[in-house]
Order: sequence, then C-alpha cells, then structure tokens
Amino acid sequence: MSYIQIRNLWKEYADQVVLERINARVNKGDFITIVGASGCGKTTFLKMLLGTESPSRGAILLEDAPIPDEPSQQRGIVFQRYSVFPHLTVLKNVMLARELEHSPLLGKLFGSARRTAKQEALAMLEKVGLTAAIKKYPHELSGGMQQRLAIAQSLIRKPAILLLDEPFGALDPGIRADMHKLVLELWKQHQLTIFMITHDLKEGFLLGTRLWVFDKPRHDPQAPGAFGARITYDIPVGQSDRSLYQKIDQQLQVTQELTMEGNAA
Amino acid sequence: MRNLLKALILAPVFCAALAVVGIAHAEERKSFSVCWSIYVGWMPWDYGAQQGIVKKWADKYGIAIDVVQINDYVESINQYTAGKYDGCTMTNMDALTIPAAGGVDSTALIVGDFSNGNDGVVLKGKKSLADIKGQSVNLVELSVSHYLLARGLESVGLSEKDLKVVNTSDADLVAAFATPDVTSVVTWNPLLSEILTMPNSNKVFDSSQIPGEIIDLMVVNSDVLKANPKFGKALVGAWYEIMATMSAQDAKGKAAREFMAKASGTDLAGFEAQLASTKMFYTAKDAVAFTTSAQLKTTMEYVAKFSFDHGLLGDGAADAGFIGVETAAGLYGSSKNVKLRFDPSYMQMALDGKL
Amino acid sequence: MKKIINLQPHNGTRWLLALLPFLLLLLLYVAASNARLADNPGDKLLPAMGSFADAIQRMAFEPDKRSGDYLLWVDTGSSLIRLGLGVGISALAGLAFGILNGAIPFARAPLSPLVTFLSLIPPMAILPILFIIFGMDELAKVMLIIIGITPALIRDMQQRVLEIPAEQLIKAQTLGASSWQIILRVVLPQILPRLLASVRLALGSAWLFLIAAEAIASTDGLGYRIFLVRRYLAMDVILPYVIWITLLAFFIDYGLKKISQWSFPWFHSQTGDGGKS
Repeated sequence: MSYIQIRNLWKEYADQVVLERINARVNKGDFITIVGASGCGKTTFLKMLLGTESPSRGAILLEDAPIPDEPSQQRGIVFQRYSVFPHLTVLKNVMLARELEHSPLLGKLFGSARRTAKQEALAMLEKVGLTAAIKKYPHELSGGMQQRLAIAQSLIRKPAILLLDEPFGALDPGIRADMHKLVLELWKQHQLTIFMITHDLKEGFLLGTRLWVFDKPRHDPQAPGAFGARITYDIPVGQSDRSLYQKIDQQLQVTQELTMEGNAA
Repeated sequence: MRNLLKALILAPVFCAALAVVGIAHAEERKSFSVCWSIYVGWMPWDYGAQQGIVKKWADKYGIAIDVVQINDYVESINQYTAGKYDGCTMTNMDALTIPAAGGVDSTALIVGDFSNGNDGVVLKGKKSLADIKGQSVNLVELSVSHYLLARGLESVGLSEKDLKVVNTSDADLVAAFATPDVTSVVTWNPLLSEILTMPNSNKVFDSSQIPGEIIDLMVVNSDVLKANPKFGKALVGAWYEIMATMSAQDAKGKAAREFMAKASGTDLAGFEAQLASTKMFYTAKDAVAFTTSAQLKTTMEYVAKFSFDHGLLGDGAADAGFIGVETAAGLYGSSKNVKLRFDPSYMQMALDGKL
Repeated sequence: MKKIINLQPHNGTRWLLALLPFLLLLLLYVAASNARLADNPGDKLLPAMGSFADAIQRMAFEPDKRSGDYLLWVDTGSSLIRLGLGVGISALAGLAFGILNGAIPFARAPLSPLVTFLSLIPPMAILPILFIIFGMDELAKVMLIIIGITPALIRDMQQRVLEIPAEQLIKAQTLGASSWQIILRVVLPQILPRLLASVRLALGSAWLFLIAAEAIASTDGLGYRIFLVRRYLAMDVILPYVIWITLLAFFIDYGLKKISQWSFPWFHSQTGDGGKS
C-alpha cells in the first residue's frame, strides 16, 4: 500500500483543462521534485495536495482516505515569498506553531510552557543557522535567511509532508547550494515526504529521490486550453544520464513556446 | 534673493490693501450696499429691491444702493460690523452687542417693527412659565431668545441660575423639540409656530408680554450716514413707500404680501400669521412716536444690562452703561463712548413729506 | 551650479525656510490688523496681538465671572472626552467589524455592502433622525463622530485585512491554527498599526463632526465656544481657540505616530515610514 495515491486526477477551469489523468503513487519518505513549463499546473497540483484547491475529477488519497480539503498541520508549506510573519521576530515566528498547538484560546504561552517552546525553537533555529538573528524581524533578513526561517517554522510542527513551491527561486546560486544541503539534511532527519516545485531542471536532477516532469503531451493550436498537463516523466534521481536531461529540457522549452504562442493568439 | 526681498517689500502692501478693502469709509460716495436676512419684518427690503422701489429712490438722490440677501443672520451682522456693508437689518439687542460693542458707531435709521408675540418660550407638557425651573432650555444663546427668557424669568421671580441653558442652533431647534430629551425651547417665528403645532407643546411666555423690547431695525454706519445724508433719505423714502404698498388692503397690497410670503418660504396665510404677531410701523408717524418715546430708553437699559451680565459688551466694559446709547428721550450710558444712536430725524422727514 | 532638484537645504536653513511662511502670515496679519485698528480702535475682526493675550489670559487663567470655571480648560476637557470616546469607540468598531468582514467571507457577504452604503450617507444630512434616536446630550455628540467616521474605518480595515497575503493565512493553518487563532495572532497584530494610520487620517473628520455637534446643541466645548462668541464677533477668542484646536490636533497626530513607531517597529521600517526620524 502506498502512502499517497493519486487517482485519475483532473483539474479544469471554465474552458481550460489544467491537469488531466494524473495517476501516481508516492511512498513515505519520497522526495519528489516537480519541474515543468510555466502554466502547466505544477502549482495547482501542489495546492491540491495542500487542500486550498480541490480536484475536478479523481482524488488524492492520503493513507487511503481523501486528503483534507483545507490546510492542516500534516502538510507544511514554504512558498517562494510571504511564508513568514512580518510582525514577529525570528524566534517568535518559530515559537508560534507551539503556541498555537498548546494554547487554543489565546495562541500564546506563558511561564514554563513558554520556556519549553523557546528552547525547542532555539534548537530548530540552530539547525538552520539563524541563532544570531533570533531577535530580528523578517524584513531585516536576507532572502536566504527568510526561507531558512520559513522552513524552520514549518518543521517545528513536525509535518509528515513538506510542500515547497519554488522555495529557492529568488535566491542567489551560492545560497541555493547551502539551502539544498539544509533541505536534504532535514529531510533525512525528520523522515519527511517532500514535494518540491522548481523551475530549475538541474535542481530537480540533483535533489531528492524522484523527478516528475509536468508537460502537455498534446497541443491544439486552435484551442490552447483543450488539453491539460500530465506527468510525462517519473524517474528515479541518480539513475539518469546526461542525454535524458537534455531531452527533457528541450521538450519543456517546446511546450513553453507553444503555450506562449497560444496565449498570444 | 532679490525675489525674497521683493516679497518682503510687497507683503505689507498686500496687507494694507486687504485691510482697506471693505471698510465703510466716511467720505461722500455714490454707491452703497445694505444687507438683510430672512425675517418677517425685513422681507419688505426684498420686495422693495425686486420691485425697483429702492432703485427709484436711489435714483432720485443720484446714488446707487445694492440690497444683498445673506442667508445667515449673525453672519450678515458680522459682515456689516467688519465693514463690508453700509447698513444691515438687525434687532436692537444685536445692534448693541455686535457693531456697537465692536466699535462701529451705528445708527438705527429705520425702526421697522417690534416683536409682539413673534418670540416665545415653549414648554412640553407644562403650562406655566414657573414650571421651567430646573429644566434644560434649548435656545440660541446670547440671542433675543435668551433675552426674552431672562425677562420672562424675572416676571416669575426666577433667574438663569434656576435652569440650564443649552445653546442650540436655530436650524435644528424644531428637530430638537421633537426629541424626548428636549422639554423647553425659546425661539422665534416661523420656528415658533412650527413647534407649537407639535402635540403637547404650550407657549408659556412670549414677546407680547414685553411689548416694544425686541425691535427690528435698519442699522447704518453713522459716519457713512453723516457724510451721505442722501443714503439715509433714499432708504427711508423707499421703506415708507414699501410700507404703504404692503399695508394697503387692495390687490396690490395683497400681491406684495404674497411676494414676501413666497420669498420667506411660506404662504400668504402663514406670512399674515407672522405679521399678526409683529407690530409693524406702517407709517412714519407710528415709528417716530415709538422712537421718541421714553420707553425706548428704558428698553435699551434692560438690554444693556442683560448684555453686560452675559459679557457681551466686551472686557473693557466696567458696567452696563459702558456703551452710550443715544435716544430721543436722552442718553443711556457713557457719553464718551456713544456707539448706538436711535435717530428719528430721517423718519421725521418722511412724516413731514420732505423726502 | 547643481540642478535645483539636487540642492538640499542644510538643517538650519530648513528650519528657517519652514518658519518663513508662518512669519509672513503673521506679518500680513499684523499689518492688516493695524490698518483696521487705525480706522476703528474697537474693531473686532482682526484684533491686535495684545487683545489675543488678554483673551487667552481671561479664558485660560482667570475663572469665568458667571460660572467660576476656567473656560478654555473646561472646553478643552469636554471636547477631548467627546473626541476620545468617539474616536476610540469608532476605532474599536472599525477593528472588530473590519477584521470580521475581512477574514470571514460569510460575514463579509451580508455586512460589506451595508457598510459601504452607510459610509456614503452624509451624517449631517440626517441630523433630525439622529436626534430622535440619540437625543441631544453627550451621547448624540459622541454618536455623530462615531457615525461619521466608523463606516470608513471599517471599510479601510476590511481592505487592509484582505491585503494580508493569502500565503500567511495558509501558512498559519499548516501550523495548526484555528480561525480564531489566525485572527488573534496573524490578522490582529498586523492590522493594529494600519488601524492607527487610519485613525490618524480619520481624526480630521472627527474634529469636524465634533465641532459641528457642539455647534448644534451644547453647553461647553471648543466648538460651542467658537460658535457662541461668534455671535458678538469676538475674534480675539475665536482665533486663539482655532490655533489651540490646530495644536491639539497636531499633538494627537504626532502622539499616535510615535506610539505606532514605538509599538510596531516592523511595520514602519517595512513601509519606510520614518522609523528613525
């Protein structure tokens, strides 16, 4: 039995098919990176996993039950931006999850409960290397530090699944390499199941255990919205060669161009 | 830098210009302006201006008189006091407390009428003025309503300390009386008759009980009048022609009253009801008789005392007689500071047919 | 010579330049006042500086002859209580309903059109109805301020809540937050500095409604005094009162700005709104 099953999943808007016939099985502990041309439904797919969008047809099953259709603490998320709370310091951003958990009425902890939460948050912040910045507000942090904070904040609630929507898209290449290392470490340590969208194919080949390519296998130039994207490749990372990389890269570019032409028409 | 200097030099010039504009000057002039506001006793000015009667008389004396309506009564007096107009319609009390107290030597050129029931005290539920004790009374503070209340209270042995005066804008008095909080008001017509139509309202005191104390005047700047007697003659001449027309019981008189009724926002019946509680001096004879009576001096003494008690004569005022009021029956107050003059001589000219 | 857009006045010069228009105004006033007083020593429209000093002395530092009160302080106290109550209640209502409308779609659906409708009614045009409902006493004055500024505050707060990035609300849910906790820990603290900013803007209207309410029916207050003494053209009292109101308004605004900067440093450095000045 698989941890997550995706069964004949469709997502359609009025006159546009975004995703069609998605079928997949995911095991606990998989680290799946998702690539694809822009506008081919990667983020929509992630939102369905998150519970902020629901499928038009088909279903996503989590341990054989339909996945909850609103966000919950099972599934942590890191967006490209706006993932942290601007009005809280770094430390309080991380402590927040614990406070919400243990104080339903006030969402705030006091006394020894607060000290425990603080110790936990400090430990988590140490792991992501933000110990020096615990008293700073997010706007005082660099982009990389903000994303590390977002990850720390998500992980303290110990989600089973971590969803990453282009988390490093806005970062410099050097910082990105550090972040890759961090994510891999945390993945192993917390035994997470990770879905990560990236627009960088190289990142997809480098990180995780599986690479999914979202692409539209059929194009109708008269009706660009007639066909949706599917998972065209589902390949284990580490067992692929250079030629495959180039082939996927080329196909995605073709789709990108076709999509843009369709939009222009 | 040169621009800055220029500005510094020019600023006082502008100031001077600003200061001089609008001050009524005493030299001989050809054109004048007077202002009026809507009230039963002053509607004739509108009629006279619209029908060309004022122009006819001004032409006769070779001058021009502009008659301007101002919506807000107090604002019209303030404008006159500031020097924007040569004359203005107002009551005897306001003439004393606004222009005269503001150092503008003013002359009551025409004594048009006095309120004979046009101002009144209204209680909700209660039937006698003495019941007002302990109540909050809504009225336009420091106006003739306030004066009427003070005079009424004297008549029943009470004083202002026995109640609480709430300053209320005249525009909102009718609506105010409709609310449960408000139990007594003092006001004038047409608001008074409007309030008296409401259930449970009783008029417990009105100006007919202090006849001749609330007087409606045409007040002009004394210096302007002195330098330009023609201005006074033209205004008085026009006024008594209008009076003769409107008081006539013929078609023309009715048309005149209908015109005034419409202009004041009511109908003929409503306007005549207001006229009924106003003692109009339709003839110069009546006006001169009233102006030369000894009662006027006594009235102004009451008014001056009330005004002094309420701080209306200014801080320089040591007593109620601080501002001298000249009447035919003699001077009230300080002879060194005469700022308000009741001058029957122009009305006398009308009486003698010398205009 | 540098281009004029690149020329910056130095500190001293800046103060001087800031004072200059005020000095010119004062000069203009004194000249005009002198000219009028030369014509009529009793002129009340533009009194001399000495008359202002007398009036201030009399209103602020001497008990009134009739009531024994120090009028300026009594008036200021009454007005500030009304303003404080009116603005305070409006701010609370704006906050509560703004968050409710902004955060909960089922509240927004029926309430938002209603609030928009109410905010478009000019309160001064329906005064008689307000008198019937709220009477003519203190309540009516406070209510006029509340009715005058609350709908706009609610709309503003609702808009500000809707502007909070959806990512944050989702993020909070993935951290296990309930709707109540999201409102309490995510929405409310982010809305508070925006509320202060809106209140600062609304204070102008609040003063206007306060003065109007005091002009309509009152026994004390800054607006009451101005409209009362206008009856005998006492500009020597009116002008100091106007300047006093301006000063009060300025200091209230300045105080709110400082409170906001002190309490919400993250907000002010985020918006670049002079956290350091």
